[in-house]
Formats: sequence, structure tokens, C-alpha cells
Amino acid sequence: MIRLYDWELSVNCYKQRLMMGILGVDYESVPVDFYPGREHKSPEFAEINPLGHIPVLVDGDYSLRDAHAILVYLAAKYDPSRRWYPVDEPELLGETAQWMLFAEATTNTASAARLHVNLGYDFDIEECRAGAHRLFRVLDEHLWFRERDGLGWVAGAEHPTIADIAIFPDVMLSEEGGISRLDYPALRRWTDRVRRIPGFVVMPGIFPVGDGPERADPLSIA
Amino acid sequence: MSAVLTELRAAWHPVAAGTDLPPRHAFQGELLGRELVAWRADDGFVNVWENRCLHRGVRLSIGTNDGTELVCRYHGWRYASRSAGCTYIPAHPADAPARTICNRTFPAVERYGLVWTGEDPVGEVPDVAVLEGGHTDLRHLPFDAPADLVMAELGSLRFAPVGSPSGEPVGVDVVEIGPLTVALTASDGSAESSVVVFVQPVDAAHCVVRPVLAGVVDAADLRAVRRHHATALETLRTSVEEIARTLPGPEPYEVLLERAPVHVADPAPPVAGRTAPLRVRVARKWRTSAEVMAFDLESIGDPLPTHQPGAHIDVHLPNGLVRQYSLTNGPGDTASYVIGVKREPESRGGSVALHDTVREGDVLAISEPRNNFVLRRDSPRTVLIAGGIGLTPLLAMARALHRMGAGFELHIFARSDEHLPFADVLETLGSSVHTHLGLDPAATGVTLGELLAEPASTDQVYVCGPGPMLDAARSLAAAAGWADEAVHFEYFANTTEIDVSSTFEVSLARSALTVTVPAGSTILEVMRENGVAVPSSCEQGACGTCSVAVIEGQPDHQDVYLSESERARGDRMMVCVSRARGDRLVLDV
Ligand code: FES
Repeated sequence: MIRLYDWELSVNCYKQRLMMGILGVDYESVPVDFYPGREHKSPEFAEINPLGHIPVLVDGDYSLRDAHAILVYLAAKYDPSRRWYPVDEPELLGETAQWMLFAEATTNTASAARLHVNLGYDFDIEECRAGAHRLFRVLDEHLWFRERDGLGWVAGAEHPTIADIAIFPDVMLSEEGGISRLDYPALRRWTDRVRRIPGFVVMPGIFPVGDGPERADPLSIA
Repeated sequence: MSAVLTELRAAWHPVAAGTDLPPRHAFQGELLGRELVAWRADDGFVNVWENRCLHRGVRLSIGTNDGTELVCRYHGWRYASRSAGCTYIPAHPADAPARTICNRTFPAVERYGLVWTGEDPVGEVPDVAVLEGGHTDLRHLPFDAPADLVMAELGSLRFAPVGSPSGEPVGVDVVEIGPLTVALTASDGSAESSVVVFVQPVDAAHCVVRPVLAGVVDAADLRAVRRHHATALETLRTSVEEIARTLPGPEPYEVLLERAPVHVADPAPPVAGRTAPLRVRVARKWRTSAEVMAFDLESIGDPLPTHQPGAHIDVHLPNGLVRQYSLTNGPGDTASYVIGVKREPESRGGSVALHDTVREGDVLAISEPRNNFVLRRDSPRTVLIAGGIGLTPLLAMARALHRMGAGFELHIFARSDEHLPFADVLETLGSSVHTHLGLDPAATGVTLGELLAEPASTDQVYVCGPGPMLDAARSLAAAAGWADEAVHFEYFANTTEIDVSSTFEVSLARSALTVTVPAGSTILEVMRENGVAVPSSCEQGACGTCSVAVIEGQPDHQDVYLSESERARGDRMMVCVSRARGDRLVLDV
């Protein structure tokens, strides 16, 4: 059984729970007392991840750290449709990788602002917020043009990829970090679509959205 | 308040693109410092409301648009499309919310691909002649800059007209066509295009620039044209925001807030008497089964009040009769009321009048909807049992449960397929619908017995149909172990013989009045003669509208509304038919 070193309120751990929920992969969550226990910085945890952060995924003898790398592994290994990590389509794969790097940036701005507000992390909050708004402007415009082409996901396909999963929680929890989504209607519509992917799971602060309009393919855009 | 702000409040403003409101989405917007939620119901109606739930002030834009209702994320309060009235409060599953619990709504109009609203807009959405010949939607951009600064700078926008030979951006001619609207025209050789730019004042320091291109662009060029304009506007945004950062922050707009709605805590008293304040027009009349005509009643003037599943209205007929009909609409389905009327040639002529004399286009007076047959929406299994036309209130309930994905069964007993009303609606409810056709009373009893066997403690059953069927269902339910509170029923009529022979005294505690009710009169009549109004509807002890709390004395119940345990408690009574066992009653009126 896969083990996920996990903390309920972590966006990066949630990305893995969401991906495994959607792919229907069974796993065992190993809770790490991230706050206030700082267990991820303990000597015991250093043996699991010397960098001292979560999530860490252990699949048999194989162990992997870093949220976005784990998404690559999960999709490449457990998605027989080969759509979530589209290894057979070079253009799409390139775009997916590009947006995965974008997700690093949303994590370091929007989700960092949330850590500052919720847990008192010492980040420059104004710079985090301004950075998140710069990224959200780009993503909102990108998704708006995608919708004009009849597409609904960050990479240019009719189906979502791991890039959607990697960016989604940073966007969805941004208001906890004081970053409003009022200016980003296309981004808000995209969060509805992600929440309607079959197998979607919630976390505190991320709610379901209810049924979408009836349509043949549940992954097509609404 | 400044004159400018007063003017802005009286104007129409675009607050979204039409495409910002896809089905089942809740859009978050802001105008003049007030946050708005905008959502499109499945019938296309666009709602623009204040973005806060009346309950705890939570943003409704994080809630769920279920197609007819907007559901608050936190405590699940549900609000109907159009009226914004509350249809359900999960914490009080057995009560109908007061009709006065209603969100603040704003008018909404779609025009030029935009959704328009205003605080208190005067007149119509302005005509823009250049857009009348067709238009193309472009990307809108939020600006971190005040609207008046953006208006002053819009003239420096540069773009290439559609079909321009060079494709290079050029300067524009500016024509101001409204306080926050300009037409920008670019020409290059023979190519010329106009963009009308609407500036939406979000708050004092922010606005959204909403450009609309005049004329229809070839599909093949559309993407390039939109890209070009998005880039041009982005360039302008960068320079305008630069300027805005150097200016002192403007005074925030003062937002007019309503006082906390008192009625949320304290439901307003119901309307007194048998009034018919609403006027409706028969938009459509059609035969929905062998004996049943359906009527689609649309409002003349104000939107129709919010209703809940199980609610009924009084219809005041041209021949002077007043009849009760259940609304078949689902909650939130407030464009019109749809009732079903079975022709009863034996009766005093209410249904015959509706069948034979009321025509499409006629105007009828109706009461506001009242709900004395309240649906809990929190049960994992709800059994709905309808006898013939008794389907009407249960249809509304089934629609609500179906839409919520709640577990329910709808059983309809009817003579034959031809006697099944609203078959088209039943089809939309899927496999939860079961029909039982052509059963005689004995077979009906057997089937009812099966349906009611072995209830779980959380099951709820709702029954509506002819008296004998209801009596049978109630005693079978009691025998099968259903709790009295889990069995809900609605009789069409009270067919028991009313005994009016007693004479007694009634003290009306809150009115400080004591009256004598003589044999042959009802409490309701005597109260009315003395100027004390109590709402009523059927006036035969069937509907529950005239329920009054009893403070002292033993009521002589003659209604068919109360259940056995409610009768035994003796703490309320239907004053239209029930009387006193002793010689005195004290009522909380
Ligand atoms: S008015 Fe209907 S029960 Fe009295």
C-alpha cells in the first residue's frame, strides 16, 4: 500500500490526495504533526526526507519527495489513459511541464501568503500577495482565451492534466492569504470545473461546488 | 454623499459579461463598493443580489447554484431565483421560513453581451447606436485605478482596426457617449473599427474596463482580433496603473447598507384573513390528464413571492368561490405558478369554473403562497404517496429532493395512464417514480401496507390524496410503527360532518377581548365580526392556515389537519371549524 506523509491542512499534501482520489489509487495517510509539533523538522523525519518537508510518498521500496514530482510519478504510474501526464504527446507534455513550474510560483506566493497568515511564517506578505496577483492575471487571461477555443484546462487539451491539480489548491485557498479572486472570473470558473472532476476530494477550505450542467463528457468544459 | 456618487447610483453599469455566467456558476462581482453575486438559473434568468447570506453574512458567491436556488455554503440556507426569498433552512427542517427572509436583489438586464445592473437605476440601459448592428466581445480587464482616471486615459489606447493593411496599432478618435462610456475609433487606410468601452466603477480605487467591438468579426480572424485588443488594453493598463500609484488614494465610496433584517430573527406576522393580494394571468392552460387541467399563472407586475414545496394558494374565482390549489413548482422555480385542477362535477363549482370558463389570458386574484405541508429536506429516505390529483404538492417536493440528490420514492395511485397528471414532469424525475394503476381499494390497501412496512427511524412519509386513502395510509403507518411526527398528510377537503351545536366563550388573550360563540357560528366568524383578523384559507379544517395557539381550555377538534398526537396535546386548534369542549377557551390571539 502507498504511504503518504501527510498533513491535513497542507496544500501540497492535498495535491496528492486529490490526484489519488481522482485516479482511484488506495493509499494510507501517515499524519505528520506539521503544526504546532514541527515533526517534519525532527531528526526521525530527516531519515524520511533530509530536506525536512512534506509530502513524501512511499510506494513499496520507492520513496519520493516534492509535491509536483510526486504528481508526475502518480500520473505516469497509475493513469492507464496517459492523459494526466501526457507522455505520448510532446507538445502537451511541454505545456504541462511549463504550467507545473507556474505552480511552483503560485505555491511560493499565494500559498506562502496563507502560511504567513495562518501559521505566522516569516514571508514578505505584501510581496507574496502582489506576486500572486501577477500570476493570477496571467492565468485568468490564459483561461479566458482557452474558453474561447472551447477548452477548459491550463494545458491545451480537452482534458485536465497534473498541472491543473498542481495549481488548483493554491488558487482555491488564496483568500486565506488575503488574495481575493474577485478580479479573476475565468479563474473562478476553472475552479468549478476542477471541483467537478469525478473522484474530486475536499479539504478544509475547499468545498464541493454541486452538480454541473448536464453534458456528455464530465471533463469537458462547463 | 457626493453628487457624482448619487449620479453613479442612479445609472446602469455592466458588472459582468454574459459569458461570465455559465449554467450552475455563481459569479462574484462588485459595484460602487458593494459586493454582488450574479447567477443564471437554468431557465436563463439572471439574478444579481447582494453577496451575503442573511444568516451569517457569508458570501453567497462561494455557494452552489443548483439551477433554481442558490445555496449558502455554510449553513445551507436556500434562496429562490428571481425573488431571492429563503425557501429552506436546514437547521429548522420542519418549518417553513418566513417569506420576509429575502436577499437584497438588484435589477439585471443583458445587453451588448454584458450583464447590467445598478444600485437604483433610472430608466433603461442606454442605447449605443454603433453596437446595434452587431458586436464582438473582447477581453475585459480589471484596473487597479479609479474609473475617472481610466476615463481620462482611454484616449491613449492604440489598436489596429480590423482589416488594417499594416496591422500596426494607431491612435484613436474619442467620443464620449456617457458618463463612463467612450467610443474609440481607429482608422488605417480604408479600414476602420470602433470599440465602445464601458468602465465599471468597482470601488473608488478599482474599475473594470469592458470593451465591446462594433460589428461582427469573421470567425477565422476572431482569435487574432481578441489577442490584439487584449494586448493593447494590457499596455494601457500598465501605464494607467503606474500613474495611479503616484496619486493619493481616493476616498472610499460610502456604501448604503440596510439595517440588519430584523425579520430574520422575528418572522413577520402572517397576512390576516382570506386576502388575495396577487394578480396573475393565465399564461397557459392545458389538459395534463383525463380529468386534470393545468394552469400556468404568471405574475402581472411584481415578481411572485417565494414558495416552498408543499405550499398552496387560494384562487379567487370569477364566480366568487375561493379554492385552494397546491403549487407544483420546485422551489426557486418562481417564473410562474403551475397548478393542477381536477374537474369535480359533484362539487360546488370551483373546479368546473376553472375548467370551463377560465381561459388563457384571463386574470385571477390569488393569495400569497402558504405552506402548512412542510417538507423536511434532511431525511435519507422520503416516501411520497399520492392519490390522483394529490400528486400536486408532492410533485413540488419530489422536484426539490431530486435536484438535491436526496433519496426519495414517489408513489402515484391512479386509475390508468390517462389519469396520470403531469406525466412529462414525472419523466424528468427518473427511477424514483413508481406508478400503481387501476387498483381497487383493497389492492390499494395492500400496496400501501407494503410501502409503509418497516420504517427506519429517520424515514419521513408525505401523503396526499382522497380522504379514505389518507385514512388508510395513516392507520397502516401507525400500525407499522411510524412515529406520528414522521407521517405528514394533506387532505383535499374535510368531509366529516361539523357539529356546530355548542355555545361557549372565547377569551382572546392578546386582543384583550372576550366573545361568545353561539351555536351555528364558528370562532373564526365571531372573531372577524369583532375586528380580530386571523389568516384562513380553506375554512373547512383541512389546510392548517387558521391554526391558533390554545392557552387554556380543551378544544373540540373537528379538523383533519392535526395529527393524533397534535390533537392530544391540545395546544393549537383550527378556529375555522373546531370548538370548545367546555364552556370556555383562552386563545393566544
Ligand atoms: S382555514 Fe384551513 S384549516 Fe382553517
